[in-house]
Amino acid sequence: MAAIQDDLSMNLEAGGVAPDVRPDTPVKDPVQWMKENLFSSVGNALLTGVFVAVLGGLLWWFVGLVFKDSNDWDAVATNIRLLFSFNYPAEQYIRVWFSLGMLLGAVSLTAAFFDINPSMSVRKLGINASGLGATSLIVGVLPATPSGARIVFLIIGALFLAAGVGTLQAVDEPHKKFVSFPTMLLTFGLSVVAFAWLVPIGRNEFANGAVIDEGGFANPSTKIPWTIMMAILVGVYFLARAVKPMLPVKPVQTFLITFWVAGPAFLIFLVLRDPTFDYDRVLKVDIPWAIGFAVVGGAILYWLTKPMLGEIGRLVAVALLGVAVLNWVAAFFGWWSMLQKTRVSFLVLALFALAAPTFAGEKSARVRYVGAWVAVVALGHWLITGINTTSTLDIAAPPFLGGFTISLVIFYYVMLVSFPLGAIMALARTSTLPIFRVMATVYIEFIRGIPLITVLFFFSSMVSLFLPNGMDLSELAAIFIGYTLFSAAYVAENIRGGLQSVRRGQFEASDALGLTTSQRTIFVVLPQALRVSIPNLVGQAIATFKETSLIFIVGAFDFLRVANVSIASQPDYLGQNLVGLLFVSAVYWVFAYSMSRASRSLETKLGVGSR
Amino acid sequence: MATAQVPQSSSAHAAQQRPPLWRDAGVLKWFAQIVALVLVVGTLWFLSTEAVDNLEAGGISPGTEWLNGPANIQLSEGIDTVPNSAGRALWSGMVTNLRLAVIGIILSTILGLAVGLARLSNNWLANKAASIFIETLRNIPVLVQILLWLTILTSIGALTPDRGPISGWLIISQKGVSGPRIFLADGFYQWAVLMGLAGVVTYFVRKSLNAKRDREGGTSQAGKATVAIMGVSAVVFWFINPIVGFLGTPLQAISDGWGGIPQPVMQAILSALAAGAAVNWIRRFLNSRRTPAGLAKLTDDDYFRMIFAGIAALLAVIVLWRWWPGLSSWIINSGSDFWQVAADKFGDGRGARPLDGMKPTVSEGRFANYGPTGWTLTVFAAALLFGLVFYTASFIAEIIRGGILAVAKGQTEAAAALGLSRSQALRKVILPQAFRIVMPPLGNQYLNITKNTSLAIAVGLSDVVQVGQSLANKNNQFLTVFAIWMLFYLACSLTISLIVNTINARLAIVER
Repeated sequence: MAAIQDDLSMNLEAGGVAPDVRPDTPVKDPVQWMKENLFSSVGNALLTGVFVAVLGGLLWWFVGLVFKDSNDWDAVATNIRLLFSFNYPAEQYIRVWFSLGMLLGAVSLTAAFFDINPSMSVRKLGINASGLGATSLIVGVLPATPSGARIVFLIIGALFLAAGVGTLQAVDEPHKKFVSFPTMLLTFGLSVVAFAWLVPIGRNEFANGAVIDEGGFANPSTKIPWTIMMAILVGVYFLARAVKPMLPVKPVQTFLITFWVAGPAFLIFLVLRDPTFDYDRVLKVDIPWAIGFAVVGGAILYWLTKPMLGEIGRLVAVALLGVAVLNWVAAFFGWWSMLQKTRVSFLVLALFALAAPTFAGEKSARVRYVGAWVAVVALGHWLITGINTTSTLDIAAPPFLGGFTISLVIFYYVMLVSFPLGAIMALARTSTLPIFRVMATVYIEFIRGIPLITVLFFFSSMVSLFLPNGMDLSELAAIFIGYTLFSAAYVAENIRGGLQSVRRGQFEASDALGLTTSQRTIFVVLPQALRVSIPNLVGQAIATFKETSLIFIVGAFDFLRVANVSIASQPDYLGQNLVGLLFVSAVYWVFAYSMSRASRSLETKLGVGSR
Repeated sequence: MATAQVPQSSSAHAAQQRPPLWRDAGVLKWFAQIVALVLVVGTLWFLSTEAVDNLEAGGISPGTEWLNGPANIQLSEGIDTVPNSAGRALWSGMVTNLRLAVIGIILSTILGLAVGLARLSNNWLANKAASIFIETLRNIPVLVQILLWLTILTSIGALTPDRGPISGWLIISQKGVSGPRIFLADGFYQWAVLMGLAGVVTYFVRKSLNAKRDREGGTSQAGKATVAIMGVSAVVFWFINPIVGFLGTPLQAISDGWGGIPQPVMQAILSALAAGAAVNWIRRFLNSRRTPAGLAKLTDDDYFRMIFAGIAALLAVIVLWRWWPGLSSWIINSGSDFWQVAADKFGDGRGARPLDGMKPTVSEGRFANYGPTGWTLTVFAAALLFGLVFYTASFIAEIIRGGILAVAKGQTEAAAALGLSRSQALRKVILPQAFRIVMPPLGNQYLNITKNTSLAIAVGLSDVVQVGQSLANKNNQFLTVFAIWMLFYLACSLTISLIVNTINARLAIVER
């Protein structure tokens, strides 16, 4: 399969990259290159002619579509905030920037501490630049291009072509010299800042119902935050590289993985929403309860993970489960009242206790298990408190989130929850226990047989029917639940593929070592299975991301709806949905394409398929 | 794979020392499974009673009777745009889905094959163009593409009677695309029966010709004979097709006979089938446990399995007699209807031409709806189809490219060493092997395209989801509508998987 995945790394612009991009290939004479690759035979030359006509026609059509007279690109420029964050109040926008800054900082830290530094050979850089330049020149020459834009395209094209060809000519052996990642990052940051400050992209704003649309440079509210963002992106990277030798790498990596798993939830709840904590109550009730659970639960778990504890440990765990269940029963019948998070904590503690024998071992392993418990208590209590406290943010329009943010939020939560759910179902489907197997199989095949849109309709219009009187679910939560249940079936199938690739000998070896079934599954089988299924899981993640666009149909204000409906119904931009849709496609494309590129390099790094 | 292995003790001594009940893995795992089953079934039960209660509190009793009632909706297109019943409206939507799925599958396969081969071409430009196609289209969500196509297509130009490109024959406008249509006329079914007979004859002729070749050597004339027989029959039967009109009578008789089965008899037959299946399963299971020394000792696990098979059969019988007696009468009625439809295709006055054709007609700035006119792809259907086909073709292209690349290079070299020409090697060595690799993911894409036809609702095309949604918005029968959606899509998925699995099984390399 490695052969299939090779050479997918072409760039988008027509012009420039030879099909053979092995770093050892020297730059060929253009005439000889064309002879070999375009006119090697009569048939080949004919094919070249046909494709020149087809590609030229398509480019002509596409340029005509983008620069059509009736298009008003100001519609997108003015509504850019609506597209990305919907009705988020402008005076509170610092929170959005704060969240973005945290994410960008985390990206830089991740790149620095996981040694992600993709480099590009000078040859490839030169070829890409000249390809971009050539395409830009062709666009500039096409009759469909409006005269105002024509000059810009021609200048950019000439500059890039000159730079690309010049680099290729000036540098000896360009395929052996590489541009390092820090250089590329710095160049990227500086270009964004330069673009924001130096290019007259116009001053567009949509404030208080009026469109402000002047020429000149970008708004300060756009260019200043972006400068800070780029400073964070580049600065954090160089800072991290500088302090890396002084820090223990492993804990930082663990922290970063935790951030990528739980961090977005933190940003959504505590930054974008910012609950009005009643600090008196937090100090008097919430923190003591959390500490109590962490300390007492931690002590119990530390004792339970002692090796060779025997029957008494199981009895304690089952007793804890009994208490936890009793709490819920009591809540149902109203025997005694209790904070909801206490009930949840009891249940989670019981589950941890039941799983304890699996994680029994040496002192360090036991401490790690207790550590995991404390982390879960801290995170859980904090999130539950956050959810149950009203927000400081005052948003006039009903949807709390919208635009591109909501696609990202749904994507994040769906992946977060459907992954463990899918893993459990994959295990159930491959188990020998017939009822579990049948239930998992029926569920997975049922869900995979029906379209996502019917599931979303079911949950958005019917969930309230299934709930007891007085209970209700917000539209967004319903969408999220439906999407998660849908996605879990697909995740389960991907993981099942990995599980089936684990060899029989691994099972036998773990049995010979005396591991229990759950120890064998968690420590031996699952890690190997997940490694094999990573490429498919990333593919699944990309599909999930693209399909977040479907929430448009069930009425959520994602940015597809903003582009296709909201903007097109503004009196200033009536019927301008073509520009909006082109913009939305571009955004989706950039995200999905970079994800698939990243997954390919991850695949190479993991050596999946070649081991 | 991740299995709980019960420590099987072989000696009789160990078997006597069973662990206490709460430590016995065999008992525990069944306990856990039954608890889980009860929990799941209980939750579903609770939720559905809750739903029925809530619905009845709102004055709606969930059921299927309303399907026969008036629809009161108008469909944007389909076999019946002003359906007289809700069921008919849904059926019209389903046909729209199926049509789009079939056309989409065919077109995306052709386009995907072309792009996939271009991606493998030595020509640099073809190669690049194909990779741009793939990387652009598969990274943009299909819904966005569909909406883009809708926006682009609705801005082409108004529909006028003399609109071209080829006025009167091919019309492209903001209302859609229309062209001449060839359709199955009344005589087709009789002609098809005769062609089937010719096919049987051809089969035997081919068999004997091939046997002769095997016996005497030389080349077989089977291919030419097939073309000759089928070609001549097609022409001859075109003119004499009314002679099988008598088939209508026996088909009618079958229909009447099927419809005459009393409901209890059908219930008894189905119950017997369910019971027979359970008995058969248990017998086969016991046989598999039989050793030369007699029946092996059965574990708890085995007993549980047999008990569950029995319970499943019992449940099926209870469903048939008590909970859903309508199922049996439904099978009787629809079986009878099926044969009735077949009978109606034969009989008197059905001797017309097998095929007929029509040019498109334009009236009052819109295309005429279904009827004696050309084929029309409305702008909504065109947008959906373009989006689906381009999106899916980009995946199919990658699949085909991967499949061809995955055939080992040694196969090409071996074929060349055997003296096969390049085209022979491609046809007889490479493509068959590539096809085997390509088939499962290709089937997945066909499933995807079928499911994605549900995006019709985004462009306002009346497919089963859109019709169901608008019906349910009127009468709040979401439960029934949802069940119909599920059944429809599951039936489609199962059909496609069945076809793909059958092809797969026939293509698979027989190992050991």
